[in-house]
Order: sequence, then C-alpha cells, then structure tokens
Amino acid sequence: MPVLLALAAVALIAADTVIPLDPLRAFGSAVYGGLEDAASSSVRWASGAGRLEDLERENTRLRAELLAARRATPPPAEGNGYQVVSAHAVGFGRDGTVTIDAGADAGVTPDMTVFDADGLVGRVLRTGPGTATVQLATASGASVGARLEGSREVGLVTGVPEHGLLRLGLLNPSADVKPGDRVVTLGSRDLRPFVPDVPIGTVVTVEPAADALTRTALVRPFARFTALENVTVVLGPLPDAPAVTDTSTKEPEKKSEKTNKSKKLKKKKKAKKKDTSRHAEGAR
Amino acid sequence: MRAVILSVLLVLAAPVLQVTVVNGWALPGGVPDLVLICVIALVPLLRTRAVAGAGPGTGAGALLGFAAGLAADVAPPADHTIGRLALVLCLAGWAAMRIPADDGAARRVAGAALVALGASLAEGVLAALLDGTPWASALAPGAIAWTTGGAALVTAGLALLPRRRSFGRVPASRPLYPRGGRRA
Repeated sequence: MPVLLALAAVALIAADTVIPLDPLRAFGSAVYGGLEDAASSSVRWASGAGRLEDLERENTRLRAELLAARRATPPPAEGNGYQVVSAHAVGFGRDGTVTIDAGADAGVTPDMTVFDADGLVGRVLRTGPGTATVQLATASGASVGARLEGSREVGLVTGVPEHGLLRLGLLNPSADVKPGDRVVTLGSRDLRPFVPDVPIGTVVTVEPAADALTRTALVRPFARFTALENVTVVLGPLPDAPAVTDTSTKEPEKKSEKTNKSKKLKKKKKAKKKDTSRHAEGAR
Repeated sequence: MRAVILSVLLVLAAPVLQVTVVNGWALPGGVPDLVLICVIALVPLLRTRAVAGAGPGTGAGALLGFAAGLAADVAPPADHTIGRLALVLCLAGWAAMRIPADDGAARRVAGAALVALGASLAEGVLAALLDGTPWASALAPGAIAWTTGGAALVTAGLALLPRRRSFGRVPASRPLYPRGGRRA
C-alpha cells in the first residue's frame, strides 16, 4: 500500500510535468478557495473589519483613478480609466503566490494586473469561481517590464525571492541609474498582464556592470508582500469612456461629482459601473 | 473510528489553516509546515486502532499522508508540481507509522522530529529540482527548524494527553488492557 501510494504520487508528478493537471487545480480552487475565503472573512469579521467594506470599495475606485491620472503616456484609444475590482488577500502560499477573494465570478481572468495602495503586487495566474491565484512580483519565475520613472529607460524586473527584493535589468548598458530612482511598470499590450505606470519600487543598489550588455540594479518593492490586505485587480479599460479633457479646469466639478456619487453608491450597487465612468469624465 | 475521522478532517483542514493563518506569521527564518506536523502527529492515533500484524498497518499512515499532501498540492495559492507534497507526505506518514508504539515517549518524540526533519529536507530538494525554487529558500533552515520543533512538540503533547483523557477511543466500559499488550 505505501509503495502503491508513493508510485501514484510519482505518477502525478510526471503527469503534471508533461501535461499540467489543470482540472485538478480547478477542483482545488473551487473547494479550497471557498474554504480559505470563508476562513479569512470570518477572521476579518471577528476583527470588526466587515463594516469597512464600503470604504474599501470606494478606496479601490479612487486608487484606480489615481493610477489612471498619473499615467504619463497617452492612454489607449478605447478609454482612459480602469475598470477595477477590489479584493482581499486571503491565503499566502510559499511559491511566491497569494490567493485573493475575487475570482471568475467577479470577472477576473488570468494575466490581470494586481496592485495595492503601495504599488505593484503581481499578476493573476489562474482563477477559480470565487478566488484567484496571484503571482507576486518577487516570485522566482516572475518578470515585469519596467522603466525608470525619470529617464524613461526600459528594463525588466525579475524576482529575487530570498531577500524580498527585485532585480532590474536595464536594456541600455550605459543607462544612468542611481539609488533612490523610482521604477514603474512599462505596460503591456491591451493592459495585460501589466498596466503602465504602476509604481514598483525604488533602486537601492546599482550592481557593478559585469558584462556591459545590461545594467542591473536591486530594487526594493513598495508593496509589502508579506502583509498584503486590500488589493485591486484591473479588469480592463472602462467601456465607453469619454475623450480626455483638461484636468485643471474640471477640479471643482470633480468634487461635487464625487460626493454625489458616494451617496448613490450606497443606494444602488448596480449603477456602480456607469457611475464610475461618469466620475472618470469629471476627473479628466 | 472517531480518531480516524478526526485525523482525516484535521489533515484536510490543515492546508486552509496553513495558507490563511500560518503563512501570514512573521516568524524569524520562515514558518512551520502545518500539514507535515499534522500528519506526523496524527499518524500514531491511527495505529491505536490497528490490530498488531493486520488491520490498516503502515498503509494507513501512508494513506493519510498522501491525502494531506494532495490537498496541500491543489489548495489555491500553491503553484508547484502536483504530487510533490503527496509523495513527501506519503513517505512521512509511512515513516511515522514505523515508529514503534511501545517506545518511551521521549523516543517517539525524537522519532517524530527525525521524520519531520527528513521530510522537510526531501521537500526542499524536490522543490528545487522540480519547480526551480532557489536552493536558499527551498531549504531555509529557519522553516525546517520550526517544522521539526513543531512536530516534536505536538507529538509530545499528544503522547501525554491520551493517558488522562481517552482521546476518541477505548470507551470506559471496555476493559482497559484487553490482551495485556497495551502499555500503561
């Protein structure tokens, strides 16, 4: 019997190496995702955080607008805001992954950007019905297109999991980089897996150029990956968002629009999407 | 039978507790592997039902370990080869079952710690080989120490506990030492 079971386990490993056993993972997500969600939300409820849900949702929306507003590059043609969903980190894995409590039911699909109040968290790896697995930027297999915020030099950020740091490899070997420089995401086509200009971290040390092909530096991430709580998933651009208008002239209108909006949010959750797009108009 | 059901439920719930609670702890060096500790600590409970030479035998320990490992392999944030933990925990359950029940409590605790240490090392090696986890984090000494210590502690606790309370077995109506084989 022990021999048979050990052989079964080896067979599973072999099978998963050749053809990924995704149905089994989906089953795990469905069963254990629900359990983790329940366990985590009962802990949060016990600590009295349940009534903060409304504020968290509001906060998420504002954060997405802030992110859209600080973009230096022109937004994609289809819109200028992001459609987002807020989630909690409910489970922490040891493979550089976390579980969040928003899944396919909330519209989350693989390769979506996840960030929190501090900066980039990672991207969605796979989804279950009510939960999703997020690969952190510090995971050993993760890589994120990045650029220096000041000089706009382009590079690639990869995980250095043992120290909680990231390694930035700049494509330009003679790029000027110094400790304290801020690193942001480069952004990908169709906003997947990464939307542009999400803050990643600051350069802490510049490594001496060994091969003169790339310039590498160690980056301390803004997000605290071991203490993640409320995170935001970017679902995509806002549908039917109006064209860009000048921000400065619309400032007072924005304020009134916002208070108006938060009142409505309490009454009608359904109207949220439409409302948000209207607010996005005010923000521009 | 109650001990068996309790053990199975506990090892199947352990992955949930591991990812929602234990992995969030900020312990120096790493966090303990709760699933491994559960399997090693609960396997002796299964043995109390086994008649010497027949019954579930060492297979029960391996089966419990395999089930727990497979659960931990598919529980959501996990992103490694399925079967990795099932293999390690199956072997750990089998090894824990081989620790003689009539040894003294100190020897059983030492045996449990040894199994935990071996299983943690095997897990780390497999993680590095199969999934490319960097060796330094796959074999983090802090995490292995927590797991080994935790397994020893929980085994010690359970070894002392059933003497005073009948832990889901041996109802008081039954003669306590049916064949004189059970140690006091």
